[in-house]
Order: sequence, then C-alpha cells, then structure tokens
Amino acid sequence: MTIVGKTKSSPGFVRSRWLLTGVLGIYFIYTFLPLIYVITASTKTNPDLFTSFGLWFSSDFHLWQNLSDLFTIQNGIFLQWLWNTFYYALVSGLGSAVFATFAGYAFAKYDFFGKKFLFALVLGAVMIPQTALVIPIFLLLSKIGLLNTPLAVILPSLVFPPGVFLMRAYVDEAVSNEIIDAGRVDGAGEFHIFSSLAFRMLMPGVTTVFILSFVASWNNYFLPLVVLNSTEHFPVTVGLAQWYASAVSGSGGSLLFTVVMAGALVSILPVIIAFLIMQRFWQGGLGAGGVKA
Amino acid sequence: MAVIALKDVKKTFGAVNVIGNVNLEIADGEFVIFVGPSGSGKSTLLRLVAGLEDTTGGQILIDGADVTNLGPAERELSMVFQSSALYPTKTVRQNMSFGLEVQGLPKPQIRERVDRVAEVLKLTEYMDRKPKALSGGQRQRVAIGRAIVREPVAFLFDEPLSNLDAALRVEMRIEIAKLHQRLGSTMIYVTHDQVEAMTLADKIVVLDRGDIQQVGSPMELYERPANLFVAQFIGSPKMNVLPGRTDGNAIAIANNGAIPLGSKAPDGIVKVGSRPENIALVPEAEGHIRGTIDVVERLGSDTFAYVAVEGLETVTVRIVGNAANVGVGQKIGLTFDPQQLHLFAADGKVLGR
Repeated sequence: MTIVGKTKSSPGFVRSRWLLTGVLGIYFIYTFLPLIYVITASTKTNPDLFTSFGLWFSSDFHLWQNLSDLFTIQNGIFLQWLWNTFYYALVSGLGSAVFATFAGYAFAKYDFFGKKFLFALVLGAVMIPQTALVIPIFLLLSKIGLLNTPLAVILPSLVFPPGVFLMRAYVDEAVSNEIIDAGRVDGAGEFHIFSSLAFRMLMPGVTTVFILSFVASWNNYFLPLVVLNSTEHFPVTVGLAQWYASAVSGSGGSLLFTVVMAGALVSILPVIIAFLIMQRFWQGGLGAGGVKA
Repeated sequence: MAVIALKDVKKTFGAVNVIGNVNLEIADGEFVIFVGPSGSGKSTLLRLVAGLEDTTGGQILIDGADVTNLGPAERELSMVFQSSALYPTKTVRQNMSFGLEVQGLPKPQIRERVDRVAEVLKLTEYMDRKPKALSGGQRQRVAIGRAIVREPVAFLFDEPLSNLDAALRVEMRIEIAKLHQRLGSTMIYVTHDQVEAMTLADKIVVLDRGDIQQVGSPMELYERPANLFVAQFIGSPKMNVLPGRTDGNAIAIANNGAIPLGSKAPDGIVKVGSRPENIALVPEAEGHIRGTIDVVERLGSDTFAYVAVEGLETVTVRIVGNAANVGVGQKIGLTFDPQQLHLFAADGKVLGR
C-alpha cells in the first residue's frame, strides 16, 4: 500500500489554491484600481470626469487634448517639472547607489572601531520615517543657504540607509574574502581592489539600490515641498499637487482636474518603463547569492 | 641562509591563542608543507607568512630583511587559494596580468610573460575565457599561472587541491611536483591531507593547536615521530597504539601478553606504537598478543586485517598482496617487530631515541 501525499488534483490542494488566488485577486484589484482610474480619467473631458462611470472610458476620448493642455499650460511648466524630477531622481539614484555600496562594502569586509554601533545606527535610520527628518533637514539647508536649489532635494536623497543594509548583505554574498586576499597578494591597494575587482561583481546589487532610490526620489513629495518654493524647481509631485489644490479651490479653472490626471499618468510612465527594462538586474540583485565566482 | 625565517611568531585573536611560539627556517628552493588537523593553525601561519594577517608578536624575515610590517605584495610572495580565487569579471589573460599591471610593468613585457607562462601550463587556448567557463582543474592552473607570472621569492599554497575531485587531485599533485622541479622555487604548502604532505614535501611541519609538533623530512616523520600526535597523524592507516608498561626486558601489553626486546626496556612507558606493516600474523600460540580477525579489506596490492584484541582497540595489520589464508573469525597471534616499536611516555613524547 502506497501512501499518497497531496497531488495537484487532491481536493485540499485545489481548495487552498483557489483561496490563495482569491486573496491575491483582491489584492491585485486593490492595487490596480487607482491606476485604472488614472488611466481612464486622463482620457475624459472635465464634465465627463464627474458624470461618467469612474473605472471605464467615456464616449468622448479626450486623451490627446488633455495631453496637449498638460504640456502647454503655464508656458509648458510641466515639461520643466518632468525634467526636474528626472534630474533629481537620476543624480540621487546614482549618488546614493555609489555611497551605499561604499558603506555596505566597508561594513561587510572591514573591522573597525565602532562598527557594530554604526551599523545599528544605519538600521535605526531605516526605521525613521522621512517626514520626521524633513524639518531638521530644512533647518540645516537653511543655515547653509541651499534652500530652493536642486541640491536641497538631491543632497538629503544621497543618504539611503536601506541601500546600505542591502549592499552589506549583497557584498557578503557576492564578494568572497579570498578574492580580496588575492587582490592584496597581487599588490592592489584597498580602493583599487574595490573599484576594479569588487565593484563589477556587485553590479546587480548596485543596480537594485539605484532603482529603489530612483523610484523613491521620483515619488518624493514632502521633502521638495518643504525645501523648494520656486515653481521652476518643482518636481512633478509638488507641481501636480499645486495644480490639484488650485483646481479644488476653483481658482485655476475647471480644466485643471483632467490635466492633473493626465499629468499623473505621464509622471508614472517613465518609472514603469525603467522597471521593465531593468528587470533582469533587479531580480538578480534582490535574490542575492545567485552570483558565485 | 634561510630564505624565509619565522622568529618567535605568535598570533592571538582576542583571547584565543591561535599560534603559539613558532620558530622556523625555510631554505631556498625547499618545498615545505604545513600539515595538521582542522584548527591547528596551519592556514593562519601561512597567512602570517603571506602578510594577510598581522603577527601579535615575533618577526618574519625574507632574505634576511624584516618584513613583519610589510603587506603581501611588498614581500614578493604569490599565493594560490583553495577556491582558486580568480577574479570572476576578468578573462584568464586579465587575471594573470593584473598583478603585473599593478606593479606598473610595461604592456609588452606583461604580455610576453603571461604568454610564456600560459604555454607552460597549457592555458593558451583559454586566455579569453572567463573563470566561470573553466573547469575546477583549469581554474587552479590559471591561479597557479597568476602566481608564477609575478616571479615571486616564494609560492604559498593554501589547500589548493581540497576542492577538486579525487582523480583530479592526484593529477594536479603531480603537476605541482613537476612545477617545483622545473622552477626550483621555494614553496610553502598547507594541507590537511597527509598523503599530499608525504608525496610533495622536502620538509614537513606538523602543527597541532598552534604549536609545531615536529619538523622533518617525510621519512623522518614516518620512521622517527617525536611524539604520539605525529606518530598517529602521519601514515595511513594510522599507527596502532596500545597501552603498555615496562617489564624488565619486555613491554607488557595490558593483560594480553608481552613484547620481548633485546635489552632492558626504558622506564616510563605508557603506550606502545607499531605501524600496520610492522606487525605479523602468526598462529595463535606464537603471538606476543592474541586476538580474532574482525574485518578483512582486500585492495589487491595490500590486505588489511582488523584484529579484535580483548580489552584493547582494534589492531590494524597490513599484509602485502592478497593474503588468501586470512579470513574473518580466525583466531590469530600478533607479533611486533621490536626494531620498529615506538615507545611513548605519559606526556606523549617518544622514549629511547
């Protein structure tokens, strides 16, 4: 007599699979509903926005007009905002990835006085919400006179504690101590070992940190809101919020709601495309340990 | 003059004493092997010589110069690691050139040296491959090539064959032996495998828990071990060690019999050692001690008989060729060659030498 375990067709298995699918389905709907709304809303005229069914297109497909309005309102300021966002996110992303890699490498490969304490600080920093830090950062930037400049957004964004944490784990997995020792025996200095040997082995992890930081920067609202006050420096998040506020108060004209929706759609597209392109690096990075010499 | 000398070298990790007081001299062109069980400190000692670890005390001299405070490259040493430690994002050629590029040698000279070494190690067709496209044996050859190219004062090997399968290990062992013959360079090699130690070394350093137990040629260590640890570490199968005590002109083996010697036995005997090939199987009545054959292993070239002796551990006996008359369950006598006995005192040291 053979004892048979759960197979694909056994009732218990099928039931639990359906339950899981159901739960995931509900979560999928919850996540995508706002996105569907944004997509459909940006194709409607303003009256249609308030009268037609929210989650599906209306009879009047107005997307191109909305997009045209988006890029022409206020002398095409939206394009400037889009560029600002891209610029802040790119520089912050690259900078924070590099710094996080330096720090992660140091924590993983070297022993130094206060290492445990410093790493505990990094861990603590991961847990502090950004909103709690924005006012102290504002005061700091004010003192050095950097308020209302791009650096006001970029400099604080170069600090990315989750990236340090991620890179430390990744360096531990991906760079073996023997390779570093081999580099030392070959006569390379510590920085040379890092830059010409270790860094290339860390590319999946670095890319992951870059993407996470890039997206965090792209979506950042509160920091730029506090440290910037000139419209030409705004990223898309702050700009759209400003338009939305004026649409609500009625001062900007009723055109603005649909433009805000179109703006929201345009602002998320680049990140989605970037994610899709970077997918192979991203998955490799988070699944640390897949790279072995 | 010794090419490499260690004077009173000590190493502690926090409160743990990993290397005790080590004094050692290695002559030019010698193949020295550090051997010992896991945790004996052999890798640590190698890394101290390499400059990858700092000493807690003592000096390391190379060619008479004190290099204790110098890094590995400044000591002009090369190292081959257990996992080959090739740079995974670089090709074989780039791996071998890296050390020379760091030194700042001109490109044509680097190319010429690398090509020459690659030809000797038969790596020429792999030069543009990355390490992940090579087999384990090929990777180790590249690692050896990377070490040779730097023309160091000495080569250091840290268990380079441990990650290879058995057949490849034998092949690479012979290649390393030939390499030593060809280059004539000083080599320090770490292994836990005493077969590698016996076959490759000019001189073996046996380590246990951070202390040197004995230094000598393979045959010296085999035939004249200084203490119980060395006696049982070197030689496979292990030396048989039985409890014994002085009994006039003989050595009494606990409750089982006695081994007569030609002259008075030294005082203070606690244990007696005899290698499997120095014990003979004889009819029960004629043996110094008596037992029953438990297991017989026939390897074709040798036969090993494992004899159960009452009150003692199993005694291993080696017979050359296939001993057809030896069978399980036979009651047998064992005679020990008195010229080949190793007598140990209570502290493990050997007596009478």
